[in-house]
Parts: sequence; C-alpha cells; structure tokens
Amino acid sequence: MNRFFLSINVRELVRPLGQLTLFSLGSAAALSIIVLIMALVLDQTIIGETLTEKLNVSLYTYTLINLPQVVLDGLTIGFVYAAIALGYTMVYGVLEFINFAHSEIFAVGAFVGVEILIALDQTGMLRNASLGMAYVFLIFAILAGMAAAGALAVTVERVAYRPLRGAPRLVPLISAIGVSFLLQDVIRLVEGLTTGDFNRIFPTFGNFDQRIIFGKLALGSTNLTLGVSIKSLIVIISAVLMLVGLNYLVNATRIGKAIRAVAQDRPTASLMGINVNRIISITFLVGGLLGGAAGVLYALKFTRIDPFVGFFPGLKAFAAAVLGGIGNLTGALLGGIVLGMLETFAGSYMGVFTMGAAGSEYKDIFAFSILIFVLIFRPQGLMGENVGQKA
Amino acid sequence: MALLETIDVVKTFGGLTAVNKVNIKLEQGRIISIIGPNGAGKTTFFNTLTGIYSPDGGEVNFNGRSLLKLRPDQIAARGLSRTFQNIRLFGDMSVIENILVGMHVHLKQSPISTLLRLKSFKQEERSAEKKAEELMNYVGLKGVGNEMAKNLPYGAQRRLEIARALAADPLLLLLDEPAAGMNPQETEDVTRLFRSIRDDKGITILLIEHDMRVVMNISEYIFVMDYGEKIAEGVPAEIRSNSRVIEAYLGRGAVAGQHEEKLQ
Amino acid sequence: MAPLFFKALLEKLNRGFWPYIIILSHTILGTSLVYSTPRSNVAFLVLITSLFSLYYFKTDSRFKIIAGAILALVVIPIVGVRNIFYLEVIFQISVFAALALGLNIVVGFAGLLDLGYVAFYAVGAYLWAFFGSQQYYVLSFAPGTQPSNLPFLLPGDAFYLFIFFAIIVAALTGILLGMPVLRLRGDYLAIVTLGFGEVIRVLANNLDKPLNFTNGPQGITPIQRPSMPQAVADWFNDLFGGIIGHTASIADLYNVMFYLFALLVIIVIIFVTRRLDDSKIGRAWTAVREDETAAIAMGVPLVKMKLAAFAVGASFAGAMGVLLAASRTFISPESFSFMQSIGVLSMVILGGSGSIPGVILGAATVTILNLQILQGFSLYLSELRQSDAIIPIINFAWRDLSTQLDPAKYQRLLFGLILILMMIFRPAGLIPAKRRKRKLASDTATAEK
Repeated sequence: MNRFFLSINVRELVRPLGQLTLFSLGSAAALSIIVLIMALVLDQTIIGETLTEKLNVSLYTYTLINLPQVVLDGLTIGFVYAAIALGYTMVYGVLEFINFAHSEIFAVGAFVGVEILIALDQTGMLRNASLGMAYVFLIFAILAGMAAAGALAVTVERVAYRPLRGAPRLVPLISAIGVSFLLQDVIRLVEGLTTGDFNRIFPTFGNFDQRIIFGKLALGSTNLTLGVSIKSLIVIISAVLMLVGLNYLVNATRIGKAIRAVAQDRPTASLMGINVNRIISITFLVGGLLGGAAGVLYALKFTRIDPFVGFFPGLKAFAAAVLGGIGNLTGALLGGIVLGMLETFAGSYMGVFTMGAAGSEYKDIFAFSILIFVLIFRPQGLMGENVGQKA
Repeated sequence: MALLETIDVVKTFGGLTAVNKVNIKLEQGRIISIIGPNGAGKTTFFNTLTGIYSPDGGEVNFNGRSLLKLRPDQIAARGLSRTFQNIRLFGDMSVIENILVGMHVHLKQSPISTLLRLKSFKQEERSAEKKAEELMNYVGLKGVGNEMAKNLPYGAQRRLEIARALAADPLLLLLDEPAAGMNPQETEDVTRLFRSIRDDKGITILLIEHDMRVVMNISEYIFVMDYGEKIAEGVPAEIRSNSRVIEAYLGRGAVAGQHEEKLQ
Repeated sequence: MAPLFFKALLEKLNRGFWPYIIILSHTILGTSLVYSTPRSNVAFLVLITSLFSLYYFKTDSRFKIIAGAILALVVIPIVGVRNIFYLEVIFQISVFAALALGLNIVVGFAGLLDLGYVAFYAVGAYLWAFFGSQQYYVLSFAPGTQPSNLPFLLPGDAFYLFIFFAIIVAALTGILLGMPVLRLRGDYLAIVTLGFGEVIRVLANNLDKPLNFTNGPQGITPIQRPSMPQAVADWFNDLFGGIIGHTASIADLYNVMFYLFALLVIIVIIFVTRRLDDSKIGRAWTAVREDETAAIAMGVPLVKMKLAAFAVGASFAGAMGVLLAASRTFISPESFSFMQSIGVLSMVILGGSGSIPGVILGAATVTILNLQILQGFSLYLSELRQSDAIIPIINFAWRDLSTQLDPAKYQRLLFGLILILMMIFRPAGLIPAKRRKRKLASDTATAEK
C-alpha cells in the first residue's frame, strides 16, 4: 500500500489542477474586464439609455451583476468542451488526423447513458432512490456511456481508419466524415426502431436540478439570484477529475510515455519495440472514454439530446483544440475553457450590447469565427508549436 | 560577381541550430558540391536557399538580388531550380506534364486565351511541348512521355526530376543527392549528364552528394558542412587532405592520410 | 470466370457497328418505356443509363454529340412534359451534376477539401431571392408582418443579369474566404470551409433583424422567373404537342426551361474544366494536389492557384443558386445545410474526383438513390405498414413498425456509407480520372523503329 502511494507522481496530479485554475481565473478576468469596459463605453450611448429605461439599471451595473453567473456558466460548458477537445487533440497528436467522427462518439456516449437512466426510471428505481443511490446511478450511467463510446471509438479506428493509414491526408478525413454521418443515422435508426423517438430526455432524479444559492443581488427593479445548479457542479468536478486523470496517464505512466513516443516519431517508436497499433487503439480508446463521459455530462446539463447532438459541441471542441494548439493537451484545456467562456459571454451580453439586433442565436457561429481568426493569425494555436507542412 | 552568395545564414528549429552562419559563394558556370555527414544540415541549407524555410538570420543574394522575403515560387522564377532528396514528382501526371509544370513560370497564357484556345495559346503549348520533349530526350527518357511519373523505374524518376528542374531554364540548379540509390552504371550516366548540362547550357550546378566518386569526379569546388557549420571549402584535392573533413567523417583521432583512399 | 467473360463480351461488342446498334436500341428502349409508363423507376433507369452506354461504347464522336443532343434536347423535354415526374428527377440530377462538377474543380483538380460548398450556392440563391422578389420592400418588416400588395423590385428578366452577378459575387466570396485560409494545411481548410458553410446558414436564418434581409427560417417567396413569351409556348406545343399528348402549360415549359438552363451550365462547366485542365492552370492545380512542396519549388504560386480553383468552383455554385431560386420561386436556409455539402461531396467521391464523366455518374447515382430508391422504399414500407402483412419467422407485424423508420430521411446513412466504402475500396471513384494522352514526336519515332 505504502509503495503504491510512493509511486504516485504528485507533481503530475497538482500541475493540471493549477493550470485549470489559472486558465479559468485568467480567462474569466480577461473577459470580464473587456465586457465591463464595453459596458462603460456603451452606457453613454442610446444602448445604455434604452436599458436604463427598461430595467432601471445602468448597463455597467447590469453587466457587473450578471458577471458571476456568466462566468460559472461559461466554466461549465468550457469544461465539457475541454473534455471533448482532448479526444481530438490526442488523436491529432498521435496520427495528425482530425477524427471527424469524435462528435458522434460523444453523442453515442450521451445516448447510452441517457437510455440506461430512462430504463432505470421506468422500473421506478430512480424516483425512489436515496440521494446516495442517485449518485451511484449517475456514476453508473457515466461509466456505461464511457465504455460504449470507448469501444465504438476503437472499432471505428479499426474499421474505417486503419486500412487508410499511409494514404494521402484527405482520404482518412473523408472516411471520418462518412463515419460521422453514418453514426448519426445509425443512432437515429436504433432509437427509432427501439423507442420510436430519437429526442431523448435526461430523467429527473436526485438533487441535480437544485441550485445552491449564494445570495440575491438587486438589479434595478428586479432581483437576480446568484447560484450554481448542482448538475453544473457535477459537470465541473467530473471534468476536472477526467482532465487530471488523463494528464496523469499521458505524463506519468508507461503507456503515456509510449503514446508520446508514437506521437513524436512513429517508425522510431516501432523500432523501440512499441506496438504502434496498440498505442493508436489506446489513444482512440482514451479519447472515446473522455468523449463518452462528456456526452453523459452534456445530457445531464442540457437535458435534451437528439442524434445530431454531437455536431455543434464537436465542432466547437475542435475549434477549442485548434485555439489551444492542436496536439497539445494543456492547450486543449485552455482552448476549451476560453471558448466556453467566450461563447457564454457573447451569448449573454451580445444581445444587450447590440440592442437585440444580434444575440445568442449567433453563439453557434462564434466558435467558427474564433477558429478562423486563430488560423489566420496564429495557426499553431495559443500553446502549440508550428504546424506548417513539413518539407 | 558571384551568382549566389550567402552571408551568415542561420536556421534554427526550436533549440537546434540546423544551419549555423554558413557563408558560401558560387561562381557562375561551375559545378560545386556540398558534402558532409548525415544530419550536417545540407538539405536544410538547400531549403533555406529555395525559400521553403525562411532563414533566421543572414543574407542570401542570388544574381545580384536578395532572396530573403521571397516565396519559393518567386525564388524559382528568379532562376533557382531544384530536385529533392526523396524524389518528389507529380505521380499521377504524365512525364511530359511533369516537365510542363516545370515551365510554369515561363508560360504566358492568360485564362482568356486558354478558354478560347486562341492562336497564341496553341502556339505556346506546341512549343512548350516540343521543348519538353527535347528535355526528355536530353536526360534520356525518350518515348515515355505519356507514362505516369509514378510508373517509371527509380533511375528514370531521378532523371525526370532533373528534366523538370531544367524546364524552368534555371541559372542555378540545386541537386539534392541526385545519385542516391543508383548503381555504378547509372551513377556514371548521371554524372556525365550533369557535366553536359553545365557545358551545353551553361547552368551552374550545386549538388549535395554522399557518393564520393561523383563528388570528386565532377566538382570543381567543394563546401563541407558538419553540425550545421561550414567546416571547409576548396578544390577536391584540398578537401581530400583536409584534416577537419576527415575528422568529421571518421571521427576524432583518425589520422589524416590513413583513410584517404576511403574518401576517394 | 464470369467477370472475365463479361469483359471479353464487352470488348467484342465495342467494335465495328455494334456500338451504334447498342446505343440506338438502348436509347429507343428507354425512351419508349418512359413514354409509355407514367411513374416507373425501371423505365427511368433504362433511359438515363443510355447516356452511359453512349459514353462507354466507342463510336464516331460526331455520332456521340448528335445522339447526346437529341437525347438531352428533344427526347427528355418531350417525355418530361408528357410526364412531369421524370422531368423533376432529371432537373434535380442536372442541378446536382452542375454543383458536383463545380466542386470537382476544387476537390478533384486542386485537391482542396471544401466542406462548405453549398455556402456559395446559397450566396447565389439569396442574391436573386433578395433582388428578384419583394424582399427589398420588406426590409423594415418582421417576417410575416409585411403587407400583401408590395411591388417587385426588379423585373423577372433581370434573372439573366443576376446569373452573371452571382458568378462574380460568389467568386469574390470564395476569394475573400480563401485568402486567409488557403495557406493552411488541407485538413484545416476542410474544417474552416465547414464553419463558413454554417456561418452562411446561420446568417440566412437570423438576418431577419434588425433589417429583414433573408426573412429568416421561413425563407423568401415568391421569387420571380424570367418571362416566357407566349410565342415560345405556342411554338413548343405546335412542334411537340402531338407526341406529348396534351398541351404543355406555362408551368411545364418553365420546368423544361430551367432544365435546359441547368444543362447549359453543365456544358459551360465541362467546357471550362476541360480547357483549363489542359493548360498551365490545370497542370498547376494537379501539381498542387499531388505535391505542394514540389509544385511551389517549380514556381507554381500556391495561394494564387488555390484561390483560382476556389473562385472558379464558387462561381459555378453561385450561378446554380440563382437558377435554383428562380426555378423553385422559394428558398429557405434549409436547402443549404452541411448535409447538402456532404451530399455533393459524396457525388464527387463516388464518381471519381477529377473525372468529369465520373462526377456526372456520381451525381446521377446519388440523386436517384436519394430521390427514387430511398423514397420508393419509404413508400413501400408505409404500404406494408397499412397492410396486415407479417414478417415470417420472427412474427413481426409490419403495422407495428415505427413510423420513425422512414428510409427517405436516411440520406446521411447513404452519404456516410458512400464516403467510407469508396475511401476504403476505391478511392479513385467509379470512373477514375485519366490524364490526356499527347501525340508526341518521340513516341512515333520509337514506334517506327
């Protein structure tokens, strides 16, 4: 027992926690300052006046009071993006290949988790479950989603990508797009045949929907309750655990060392006696596990899922991975958090700042705009190395 | 005036200095070699000359003008043409088309004349095709014009790459290990080809080569690189007896002269 | 043994006068089948495949051109007006063939994976939808609140002008998007174009405020068509009325007209593609596709060439967009989804990227699969559902089959399967691209020896 604890590399456990805190606080602070400055400037204009008329509060105060909630929401979605982005970035790091089907791996995880909970709900077990049991069921659903998604990711790699290794770059990418489309309809088909409905709802149980209230803030003539829902906390905590676990796996274990070796130089790693195919399978497995868990967490947070649920989170997570520097694990964390924050900030404030002309309906394309800007000005991402084509 | 002159060219990758303050000077109309052990930075040096990498420091002057800040295609248009260490042909294009791509910078055809097949277009294409064929014959690829480049045997692919580079009418031809993987007979043939390229067309040739028979046979001047630095230069006889060169190839402690025949 | 036998048989049939007999009988059989049966997939397939026997069998090229022209310009309009169902399918095939040929320039020649190709199609469609409808006067109204008696901004005949505007606007859009991203590596480009496609769709969905440009998710209608002179209608009816069996209405004639326009665009694309392919530009595209580093070292300006491919491909999509808006008189953001882009991509991949006959075959196959086979299967299933039939052995009543199982809606499955299977088993497509053989002096010289 003692020996086991001694073999744990504490540094690799603490380091990602520090990074996560730093990234979260940093992006929250930076974005808060930006919106506050914008609010101060816009306060003098017609935009501020309109708001004062409507809510009897200055734009600056409105922005300030909403900030804590926006930051919390941004963090929640940011961690989900980070967990998905890690799947893209791991595969990219090892194979230099965009696993386009990762968004559907995520969706399958969500569906498996939700279906299990729905089945449990129908037996009545969920409703009568004690609080402790509710958490057990939730953890079980997350694990099942992870297992299904992990197995699927490995299968997809085996069937649709491995035969194409060594082909021109676009060939496996096109195949991956095919897999993505195929899986969307397979989910739809399976759900349609078995349940007759492919819009599934995460069952209500446990105390996940409750909010922990920190306090009330006066917002002009109304009040704003500041709080965080328990499910958001669960999402954040689980994501942090996964991210720390993955970081440990990659940076402090033998398998991680092999993964890094394959990523660095596949032929040489193979000469050193590393079974490259196995390592690639493990990479997909790990990415799939993370994606599956993220899927169930996503379903917990947003309740409703459909077969296309993976598309936007997947693309945004990819954007996050690129933003952070694709192939770089820390970068994926940073990218996910920054993108989640940016998106939530934009969704919350753009409507007010533009007097309703452009609001949260544009938040889905926000990620793409960021993606395009990053690729133009810093294609290697915030933390990545140069990704220019090798000569 | 020198055709090509580099002054203190530096190229680094992260912490690794692949090319470190290399100065070379090429006189027009000569055949010059760069030699050095594997990983000495020769190919990186080529890539900085042709603009595939931009140097982190120093000057590259070609034909009286600086090549810094130019894109590879602009550098090619200035008359610097190259082949690659690991043959890079357009595999799914025919032999003749590969050569025609090499003429890209000289073809004037506009989109309009292309679409309308104007007389100017047809004439240009016809003369380009004729020239491409002459080049094919010149490098010894008679009669395979319609073959796909990827279907050619290895030696022919090397020749095609040379023909493609010549198609641009370069002032300077950079050859990256042109004799690699060839048998003695083929090596002798391409060596003769290089000499005739210089003699017939007056094209200056700079080549990277490991095969010392080729190097010592045709080079009129040699630069030696090791660990990213130029460690020696001179005519073949000087290089053969240079102790730093022998050291670089055979390791410290090797006695000069003892292994001289190996270098020959 | 069997494939060898067929190969030998086909070779035998591909000599002398046999090809003429086969093509003629195939075409005549197809025509008469389609002429006599109102809604038969089989008959339609026989007719449409006659185009491919025309392509496959070796005949005099003049014969090919004349036969093809008669088929496309006489036979199809006649059977199409007689039976509007066929014309609709052929029109769809033509539209997708034109789009796929346009995308083929980008993907097949220059090797740039564009996943947002329909964005350019949308640009063209919305351009004409805005100027060719009342939308200009609806700008200040929220969707659904405008008065009903608004005038049209431009006459319908401005359509012709807007085809050219759309070509220019779509090409400029392509260049604007391409400029920053074309220096990126191929897979990044794919994702960025995908993102751009989504941006255009989201804009189309949401630009109904602050000013109502696109009318949001409801889409814009009515969109004008170019005028159809009565004289043309009379002429058509005088000429073909007898064979068709009824007088063609103006609506029928519009369908023929838009089919012919689509055909014209296809012909222009093929013309442009072939001429460019066999020139400095086309060779540069192929070189860029084959090996970017070698191409740039040979003096091919990468970004410029890629931009050119992007702009040419985009401009054709723009023109087709105008055509679509006018022919449908209605457009909405739904027609320009990511799935449409992938659909067009799967046509290119299935047929053979870079290969003109391949891409047309791909477009025809996917469209028929999509419109005819999947939908036919849907109809069949819904019939079964209404019957008392039972699947034997497992004793499953068709009646209990979920109504969610509607094959017509499983296009993603179809596209996905096409993409995966083609990449694994036949990445060059059904009809792989061929490079042109040149007549070379040295070849004849060797032959003479």
